[in-house]
Amino acid sequence: MQMWIQILLKTASLFFLTLVLVRLMGKRSMARITPFSFVSYIVIAAFAALMSVNIITNLAFGFISMGVWIFLVIALEYLSIKSKWIHDLVNGRETVLIKKGKIMEENLMQSRLTGEELLRELRSKNAFNLADVEFAVMEATGEVNVFLKADKKPVTPHDLGQKVAPAAEPQTVIIDGNVINEALASLSLNREWLELQLKNQGVSLDNVFLGQANSSGELYLDLFDDFIELPKPKVKEMLYANLEKAQAGLAMYSLETEDRNAKAMYSRNAKRLRELMKKLEPYLLR
Amino acid sequence: MTVASQVKQTLEGLKSVRGTLRIYSAQEQKEEAKTAFNEALEVTGSVICDLEKRVQVLELQEPQYKGN
Repeated sequence: MQMWIQILLKTASLFFLTLVLVRLMGKRSMARITPFSFVSYIVIAAFAALMSVNIITNLAFGFISMGVWIFLVIALEYLSIKSKWIHDLVNGRETVLIKKGKIMEENLMQSRLTGEELLRELRSKNAFNLADVEFAVMEATGEVNVFLKADKKPVTPHDLGQKVAPAAEPQTVIIDGNVINEALASLSLNREWLELQLKNQGVSLDNVFLGQANSSGELYLDLFDDFIELPKPKVKEMLYANLEKAQAGLAMYSLETEDRNAKAMYSRNAKRLRELMKKLEPYLLR
Repeated sequence: MTVASQVKQTLEGLKSVRGTLRIYSAQEQKEEAKTAFNEALEVTGSVICDLEKRVQVLELQEPQYKGN
């Protein structure tokens, strides 16, 4: 066989083999792997490259060596899932950089981090002020994570004692004018519903670039034609306003009527509606 | 506008509220919100019932405006 055909075939098959092997090694973002995993990826890549251009002439030896390397990586990963001790040995442990608002200089030294770099990492976590940081830790991957002081943390509805409606993740139901049936089904909606919504908003399906539906069944659309202004769905606000109107009406009738029974009925129902409004407020207005 | 027609207007408003609530309680995926909407459906339903009875009484009192 001619040399070039040999290399062509070998490279192509190694290409797919490496693809499969790397997929087997799990899916973690390249930016977040430990230094050792990084080395193993490089070694495997080097094996594949050297074998495909015939620098490693004996294919069997090449495969044995590559196989052992991959086997060890996968075995170590498996063991480190099972045992904390091996996990720490292989991946290293996190290092505490700031504790109780004070920088641990010796730990900084140990992780070869200068003050400048620490500040840069803090800034990238939006902690520009060192005084705001209660605790910071460098993960085994080198990423720095920050825990802010309690009074510097972003306010949540919980802090405000505010009840908010629960919301599940929105589903993308239209991409590039194509309906994603799976996403629709997971919201237990169907194509007819979608067509009705599009019709109500006066939009044709081909004009929709992205469409997302949320867990309460409201559809948000982004159109190809950016000159068309779509009305934002205000149904919930309208609903609340209508309730408010009815409640005000009932309160008024209870003042106006002379009939004692009717008066009691009106004011009772006005009260019930007011309680209902209070209960529905988080679901309708937030 | 007579009292009867005003009450009727409120009644119709509440009925439309009930309809919208029903749509939301059917569409909602989260159990918690669904219960809240269902509860709201019950309350509006019983208020509508009370108002309907009142409208009947008012129509007897003001028969000339019946149907407005």
